[in-house]
Amino acid sequence: MDFTNLLFLFIFLPIALVIYHIADIKVKEIILLAISLLFYALGSLKYLLLFVTLIVLSVGIGRGINLIKRQYLKRVLLVAGIIANLVPLLYYKYTDFSIETWNQLSGQKISLHNLALPLGISFFTFKAVSYLVDIYRNTAVLAKNPLHDALYLSFFTQVQSGPLSRYNELNFCMNSEIYNRGKLFSEGASRFMIGFSKKILLANMLAMVVDEIYATPFENFTVGFAWLGSICYSLQLFFDFSGYSDMAIGLTEMFGYRCKENFIYPYTTESVSKFWRKWHISLSEWFRDYIYIPMGGSRSKHAWKVYFNLLIVWLLTGIWHGANWTFVVWGLGYFVLISFEKLVGWPERFNSKFTKILWRIVSLFFINVQWILFRSKDLISGFRFIKRLFICNYNEITNTRMLLLMRQYGLFIILAIVLSTPVVPYILKKGEKNIITKTTIEVVVGVIVAFAFIWSISLVLSGLNNPFAYANF
Amino acid sequence: MMENMYMKKGLAIFLCLIIGIGFIKNGALSQMQKICDYVKQDPKKLDDAISMTTIQSDFSNNLFARSQLIDFNGQLLDGLQMNDFYYHSSGFIVTEGDYIMTPHKYTSTDYEVEQIANFYDFLSENKIGLLYVNAPSKYTDDSVWDKYGIKAYGNKNTDYFLNRIEQLGIPTIDLRKNMEEEKIDVHDLFYRTDHHWTVPAGLWATQIIANGLNEYCGHSIDVSIYDKDNYEFITWKNCWLGEQGKKASAALVGLDDYTKVTPKFETSYIFKTANGNVEGDFSKFINEDVYNTENDVYMNTSWHYSYQRINCVNQNVEHGKILLLCDSYGHVTEPFLSLGVHEVDSLILRNYDTSKFDLRDYIIKNKYDTVIVCYAQFMIGAHDNVSNANYRMFTFR
Repeated sequence: MDFTNLLFLFIFLPIALVIYHIADIKVKEIILLAISLLFYALGSLKYLLLFVTLIVLSVGIGRGINLIKRQYLKRVLLVAGIIANLVPLLYYKYTDFSIETWNQLSGQKISLHNLALPLGISFFTFKAVSYLVDIYRNTAVLAKNPLHDALYLSFFTQVQSGPLSRYNELNFCMNSEIYNRGKLFSEGASRFMIGFSKKILLANMLAMVVDEIYATPFENFTVGFAWLGSICYSLQLFFDFSGYSDMAIGLTEMFGYRCKENFIYPYTTESVSKFWRKWHISLSEWFRDYIYIPMGGSRSKHAWKVYFNLLIVWLLTGIWHGANWTFVVWGLGYFVLISFEKLVGWPERFNSKFTKILWRIVSLFFINVQWILFRSKDLISGFRFIKRLFICNYNEITNTRMLLLMRQYGLFIILAIVLSTPVVPYILKKGEKNIITKTTIEVVVGVIVAFAFIWSISLVLSGLNNPFAYANF
Repeated sequence: MMENMYMKKGLAIFLCLIIGIGFIKNGALSQMQKICDYVKQDPKKLDDAISMTTIQSDFSNNLFARSQLIDFNGQLLDGLQMNDFYYHSSGFIVTEGDYIMTPHKYTSTDYEVEQIANFYDFLSENKIGLLYVNAPSKYTDDSVWDKYGIKAYGNKNTDYFLNRIEQLGIPTIDLRKNMEEEKIDVHDLFYRTDHHWTVPAGLWATQIIANGLNEYCGHSIDVSIYDKDNYEFITWKNCWLGEQGKKASAALVGLDDYTKVTPKFETSYIFKTANGNVEGDFSKFINEDVYNTENDVYMNTSWHYSYQRINCVNQNVEHGKILLLCDSYGHVTEPFLSLGVHEVDSLILRNYDTSKFDLRDYIIKNKYDTVIVCYAQFMIGAHDNVSNANYRMFTFR
C-alpha cells in the first residue's frame, strides 16, 4: 500500500495516528511496531512471515553481538547475520537475472522463477546490515527494549523505500519541546502534503510524457523529442523519489521521530561526484560507510586501489538498483565519471566562474544521459535512445507530438525545473526580514500547498497513481 | 528546520481535517473489516476476491465527494487545455467538440485472418452461414490523428483484414462503406463520451445486417420493419456520461445525450433467462431503471447497457436461428435483430475460457443456421497483447 493510496490516506493513517497518539508512552513503540507489521501485511502479506523472521533473526543476532565479549564470536555472528539477510535479497531479486544471463551465455533455456519481490527487501537488507555492523563496531547505542530494534527495522514510514536511516538516528522526541508543542507533527504533516503533491502533480504528470516517449518507436523520434523524454524523466525521477522521501520523513515526524534528509536539490550540483551527496543521500552514505571505507576508501596507499574501491562501490550501487545489465552499466558510468573528476581534479581546479558553470552543465548532461540507461528496458534501446539525442531520421528537431506535449505539459515541466532548485526556501528566507511580507508569503505558500494536495487527491481518483519508481528496487 | 511554523501548523490542521472527514465519511468501520478479512487470509492461498487491489479500487470508487473531486480535476485540466491528459492513463484523447477518441495500433491481422478462415471452413462444412460485420470505431480516417502527432492504424488494419477475408470468400459487411454511401458523419453514430454507438446507430446497422443476411445467407427478413417510421424515439438531453467521460469528468467533456428507440408495432417473445423461459415483449430488453436523471452520473450504470443481450425467440417470426458473436456494440443490435428473425442468441467470446467452453460444439448442438460475427474494428489486433481484455475475441474454438 503506497502512501499515495487513498485507503492509506483516509483509513490507515488516521487510525494509526489516533491510536498511537492517545496511547500511553510506555506502549507507543509496541503500537507503532504493530502498525508497521500491519502496513507490511497489507503491502506484502505473502512475505510477512519472511519479514518477521528476518527481523527476529537480526535483532537476536544484534543483541547477541552486543552481549558477547569475545571478538571472534562477535565476528562469526556478524557474518552469519549479514549472510542471513543477504540470502533472501539475492534469491528474490537476482535469481531470474542470473538464470537469464546464464541462458544467454550457455544457450540453455532454464525457465525463470518469476518471483515477486518482497516489499522493501533491498532497503530492509541494507538497514539490517547497518544495524548489525553498527553494533559490532560499538557505534550503535542500543535501547533497553529489543522491540525498539524491531521497530527500527520495520518502521512503516521507511520500510518501502527508505530513507536508509541508522539505528542511532531513530530517537523518539517525546520529551523534547518541539514534540510537546506540536511542532514536529506540524513539520511532518506539511512535509507529507508537499511530498504527496510532488509525487502526484509533478512526478506522475511528467511520467505521462516520459511513458509515451519511451514507448514510441525510435524511427518516429526527433532530436527534440528525445531530449524532452530524457529531461522529463530526470525530473520525474527526482520528484518521484524526493516526493516519496518527503512523505516518509513527514510521516516519521508525525509519529514523533526524526528522520534524515535524503535529497538536497541534487540538480543544482557542481559536479557528478557532488550530485551523489545530494541525491539519495542515505544510500550514498550507506555505501560509503559499509563498503567504501572498510575497503580502504580514498586513503589506500596505491592510487589504483582507490579506483578499484570506487569500481566495486559503483558496481554494487548499480546492481542494487535493479537486476538488469542496464543498471550495471549505469553504475559503471558513474564510476567512470567520478573517477575522471577525481583524476583531473575538476571542478575544484577551475578558477573562473564560467568554467565552473560550464562543468555544472556538463555534469547535468551526463546525469541526464545516465538516467536514460536507468529507464531503458535493455542496453540496446538505452544506447539507441542516447544516439537519438544527437542524430535522428531526416535530422528533424521537433515533431507534432513533441510540440503538443510541450504545450499540454509545459506548465508542469517549467514548474518541475523551477522547484528542483531551492527557490521556495530562498523566497521564504528573503521574506523573514519583514513580518508582513513573511506572513503574506506563508499564507500564499500554505494555500498553494493545500490546493496542490487537494488537486493531487482528485488526480489519484482520476487514475493518476503510478507506483513509486523506487518501489521496485 | 522549525521555520514558518504558523504555515506548517495551518497545513497540519488542514491535513487532519481532510483525513478526519475522509475517515468518517468513507465508512471506516466497513473498510477496517475488509482490511481485517484480507490480513486474516492464509498467505499461501490468497483469495483474488479480497485482494488489496480490489479493496483499494472499491474504496476509491465509492469515495466521499468523488464526483466533485473528479469534476474539480476536470475543470482544472479544461482550464489548462490539457485535452489529451487521459491518452496516457486511459488511451483516449478529448478532441474538438469534446468528442472522445482512441487511436489504435498497427497489427498484422494474421491471427484474425487465420482464425476467421478456419471458422468459416468449419461452418461451411456444417452448412451454416457466416456473415462478418465490421462495426466502425469513432473515426473512419486514420489521418485525423495526424494533428495530434499520433500514428493510428485502426482503419488501415481493418481495410487490410477485410480485403484478406473477402478474398477467401467470406461474406462481409463493412458499415463504413454504408456510412460513406449514405453520407453519414461518424460523429452522428457515436456518443461523445463513450466508445459505443448510439441506439439509433444500432438500429441503422441492424437494417444493413438484415439486408446482408438476406443477400448472403438465404434469409427472408422483412427489412421494412427497420424503417425509422416504425419506431418511437425518446431523447434525453445531457443526461449521462459514457465510460471514458466518467474518467475525463463532466466538467471537462460535458454530459452526453441519449435516445431510446422502441418499436411501435406489437412484439411477442420468449426470453431464455437464467431462471427459465419468460414471455414478454420488446420492452423486456430494456432496463428502464437506468434512465434516472436524478442518479449521480459517475455512479450510474452506463446508459448504453440499458439495452440488454437476452437470448430470445420471436413468436411473430417463423424463420431463422442466428448466433450473434459480438462485443458490447451488440447490446443494442441484438434486440433489433431479433425483431426480424425467429431466434437470436448471442455470445461475447472474451467471457469464455476456451479450455472450458467449446464454441463449435455449442453451435452444432444448438443447430444455428447462421453465425454473425459483428465486431468493432478495434477487436482486430487485440490478440497481439495477452493482457488485452479482448484477447480471445477472435479465437473461434
